[in-house]
Amino acid sequence: MKAFDFKKYRKQIIAAVIIVAVCIILGVLKPGREALLSRTSPEMQKLIDADAGSSRKRVTVTYNSLLVISYASLSSSGANVMSERYVGFLGKVYRADEGAARIVGQMVNYTYRMLGCGENLMHGAKLTVLLTTLTVFFGVLLGTVLALGKISKRKLLAKISSAYIFFFRGTPLLIQMFVVYFTVPGIFGFAWRDLFPASDAEAVYKGAFTAALIAFALNSGAYCAEIVRSAIQSIDKGQFEAAKALGMSYGQTMTRIIIPQSIRRMIPNVSNEFIMILKDASLVFAISLMDITTISKNIMTSEGSYLVFIPALVIYLVITAFFGFLFDRIEKRFSVYE
Amino acid sequence: MSESYEYILKTEHVRKNFGSLEVLKDINLSVKKGEVICIIGPSGAGKSTFLRSLNQLEKITSGKIFIRDELFLHRENDHTVDRLPREKQQELLLEMGMVFQRFNLFPHKTVLQNVCEAPIVVKKEKKDVVEARARELLSRVGLSEKADEYPSRLSGGQQQRVAIARALAMNPEIMLFDEPTSALDPELVGDVLNVMKELAGSGMTMLCVTHEMGFARDVADRVLFMADGIIAEEGTPEEIFGNPKVERTRNFLKSVLEV
Amino acid sequence: MKKKVFAVVCSLAMMLSLAACGSGEPAPAAQSQEAAAPAASAIDMSGVTLKSEGVLTVGSEIGYPPFEDFADDGTTPIGYDIDIATAVAEKLGLKVNFINTAWDGIFAGIGVNYDVACSAVTITPERQETMLFSTPYINNYQAVVLLADDEKQINSFMDLDGMTIALQKETTSDILMSDYKSTGSIDIQIMANEKITSCFTQLQNGEVDAVVVDSTVADGYMASSDAFRIAYEDQEEAEQFGIAIGLDNAPLQAAINQALKELEAEGFIQETYNYWFGAAAE
Repeated sequence: MKAFDFKKYRKQIIAAVIIVAVCIILGVLKPGREALLSRTSPEMQKLIDADAGSSRKRVTVTYNSLLVISYASLSSSGANVMSERYVGFLGKVYRADEGAARIVGQMVNYTYRMLGCGENLMHGAKLTVLLTTLTVFFGVLLGTVLALGKISKRKLLAKISSAYIFFFRGTPLLIQMFVVYFTVPGIFGFAWRDLFPASDAEAVYKGAFTAALIAFALNSGAYCAEIVRSAIQSIDKGQFEAAKALGMSYGQTMTRIIIPQSIRRMIPNVSNEFIMILKDASLVFAISLMDITTISKNIMTSEGSYLVFIPALVIYLVITAFFGFLFDRIEKRFSVYE
Repeated sequence: MSESYEYILKTEHVRKNFGSLEVLKDINLSVKKGEVICIIGPSGAGKSTFLRSLNQLEKITSGKIFIRDELFLHRENDHTVDRLPREKQQELLLEMGMVFQRFNLFPHKTVLQNVCEAPIVVKKEKKDVVEARARELLSRVGLSEKADEYPSRLSGGQQQRVAIARALAMNPEIMLFDEPTSALDPELVGDVLNVMKELAGSGMTMLCVTHEMGFARDVADRVLFMADGIIAEEGTPEEIFGNPKVERTRNFLKSVLEV
Repeated sequence: MKKKVFAVVCSLAMMLSLAACGSGEPAPAAQSQEAAAPAASAIDMSGVTLKSEGVLTVGSEIGYPPFEDFADDGTTPIGYDIDIATAVAEKLGLKVNFINTAWDGIFAGIGVNYDVACSAVTITPERQETMLFSTPYINNYQAVVLLADDEKQINSFMDLDGMTIALQKETTSDILMSDYKSTGSIDIQIMANEKITSCFTQLQNGEVDAVVVDSTVADGYMASSDAFRIAYEDQEEAEQFGIAIGLDNAPLQAAINQALKELEAEGFIQETYNYWFGAAAE
């Protein structure tokens, strides 16, 4: 592998440096939490002060900071329904209760929530990316095992692999996830969250995530098996013969000769599978996890704002573009010999 | 391994069917160490199939194969009747190097890695020992400076010479060549044949399926003419090329040499 | 998923029946309950507009027992709301037809796909701006449900601090618990589900410590299973369920209110309540 070619990417690098520099400057000039909340109206402040003395609090204080812009809102529940919103940008604080400022504020807030900022890893874009990458990783591993099983000369092994692939491709992922999350613990008498220490408040999300990952990986394995199988079978028969004539065993032939050559041929299909899973990740709503799609749907139903889908699309596209680029690099890396 | 055997390779009544098609009909051949044998004949005669049967790329339908006088494999009606233990078979198979018509180099490995792969992985030899030997072999086939290139950067003739070096790296006692120059542009054939000639001169036992009549005449100790799954005629190059006794041989040579 | 398909099938059946029959006698759709064709009613129906003549078409998210659920055959709607809506239709001299619909967008369908929504709909000031409500036909509280063998004492929602709870997404329970959490009143982990049944499965499997749910739903679960117990009912903030009607259909609202009044007077509502929620719960 050659060292990174700086000359070839000069323009891109300069652009990236400028963007990063601008972001840093805007980020530094962005008003912080204190600045935004110092604008709180006296009426709202009164409610906040009242909260201090009571256990049932009434005011929700939100502060979202997103790179170059910040947003804060205060809203009260109960009889005194009030809300105030502020946006901070370039050293200035703007009241954001209506008009364009409100839309900007909403966008910041929606984006913040969909990215899963200020939440654990099993939330929003973090959940989507984590679930998707881990699924593809384990899916490809499992798929390779299944593909080798399916093309194996051992009939039983081939049958088991085929049956597995048939089952997982022939049934919906949503139901597979239900079975893993609800049915399996019901039968065997365990809870997913008990896999994590009881002291861990987020154990319930981690448990659900584990169940989702298992279901996703089992499912993706079946699809990846077909990808790996067709990649292996696309390798020239002469490669097997040459390896055999040199005395290499089946295992050596596969791991040293055939699979390394197959990888490049699988990448476009694995990349497709990745994008499919990225979108399928929204199915985790069914086991109480919140990915990008679920959060945007929730915001839509609870606030009736259809604007939420714009940042959602942007987030998906950024993720897709980033991983598309990554797969492209991997493919290039594996085709240096061509 | 002492040289206490008479024939390094021998076949008796080897037959091979692909479905109802009889490709090999009764091949009997004995090869002594150091012999260079060229197999010629029209396409479809079963030459390649015979060669591939010897190192088990094809399973024979029936017949016996002996290596170093030991019964390597005996099959009847597509069933194995007798054979050496697997380990012993594997060991003897390593004594056979194979060169393919289409080279079959490993495209994801450099020239040097191609040559080193099997000795390191199969024979568990030390990497530096193998590399030194590989470089020697590459210089022997005239490709020292290409050691770190990928095969795709090489011409067909160069690739075939790497393939020969790769087979030689396993220190085989016998080399099988399956039409090694058929896939090459005419101007590249010479380099490969020169390497093969040099190899023959060094005393290597060789079995070559070839269409290069000039090569067969110059280098072979014995020439076999195969047609329709049998060895129709065999003899010294002088006998075959100078005075073929069988009608089919005459016709074949006439058509080949006239072109 | 099954239910979505079902809803599509139902609406297709509806469309077909409307298209085929025009102004004639409407053919019973897949889900219409064959209520005995009622005698002429005493209730004034002038000015009432219906999607389908002679039929009260009711939108409901079927899958929220005991308010609305499918019977064991998987196609017959049953439940408290179903009984109430059927009785109301009977009083109005109409047949009844239930349209299974997703909770998301259930209000958008009023006056479009069905005449009214009867689906455990809480009457709220916000909702009253965009739709009409009948007089309430049941009172509801927020309840905390624990496993039967969990002896924890819950005296207020504040006692949920540190617990992991399950609740149904976009319901009063969700709004209330999210407010407790976002204001920092208590620290809880919330698992929000599409279906209330998922919440109870999570509780049973031990994924969550408690379920926060409408007391009426909790009552229904207690009546059919002894795996759970109601640990706390928030009596302070009662909610009331009403039938939601399109803003432009005031005559229908008046007619439904009259019907409910008569049913109340006849003791039918109490009887139905006892049947679905158990007599002890009242």
